[in-house]
Amino acid sequence: MHIPPWLWYSILTVLAWGVVGILQKLSTNYISAESSLIWLVVGFLLLEPFFYPGPAVLHYTKLNLTYAIVSGLLNALGAWALFAALKGGGKASIVAPLTALYPVVVIVLVPLILHESVSRLQWAGVACSLIAVVLLSA
Amino acid sequence: MSLLKQMRNASWFWYSMICVLCWGAWALLSKLGSQEIPPDTMQFLFTIGTVPVGLVLLIARRGKLEKSPRGIAYGILNGVLSGIGGLALFAAYHTNGNTTLITAAAALYPMITVVLAITILRERFRPIQALGLFFAAIAIVIFSL
Repeated sequence: MHIPPWLWYSILTVLAWGVVGILQKLSTNYISAESSLIWLVVGFLLLEPFFYPGPAVLHYTKLNLTYAIVSGLLNALGAWALFAALKGGGKASIVAPLTALYPVVVIVLVPLILHESVSRLQWAGVACSLIAVVLLSA
Repeated sequence: MSLLKQMRNASWFWYSMICVLCWGAWALLSKLGSQEIPPDTMQFLFTIGTVPVGLVLLIARRGKLEKSPRGIAYGILNGVLSGIGGLALFAAYHTNGNTTLITAAAALYPMITVVLAITILRERFRPIQALGLFFAAIAIVIFSL
């Protein structure tokens, strides 16, 4: 078993976001979902001094800079829609597994945008992870 | 059939679909940007993108936020840890690894939430969650082959 670098990074993401799942629950015990999102952005902003790229940032292509900023906008909008779904009468036990299916959008779009191939065994892994996410959030 | 009809008529269903589309697009744009831009700069720019949404919510609430120190502390900690997790995801995309596999692997984070909810929050353990952990383990083993 050789764990490739991308998987190590992904595992770090899983660990950090897994703890976030608990903190999200704890914060909404005390404050509203909207307030939680506002303080989440404040937390993001606290990290900004560590990641400040300086004027070097202007050397990247405008298109990629736009992708990066719009990705943040879409991520926060998605979280907002999730809160709206929960407030609009959606049961957490249905909304959470449903929204956890976002990798499906990526899986459908990747062949159209990027030239990457996935082996049959890897497809089985992707299927297992989607099943796992739905079962875990149910 | 009636369940499908019920879902189509419910606002929460469409909000959930908006969420899925937004997050799907977020992951894909993260990958595209990461092809050139290093992870720390990606996270810096990502945060700039989240600010307008926070501001709109703040204005919608007329600046009135609950004064719960615990709630605020958990909320801010959320942002710090989400940012670190996001940084790692950008780093994963930056390695030029397979986008489909990285997105699927990183989406496995509920496995940690479930384990922590049971051990720390003492939530009841449900058999369906064990099945979920089993599938997650298989996925990770396959990805590491």
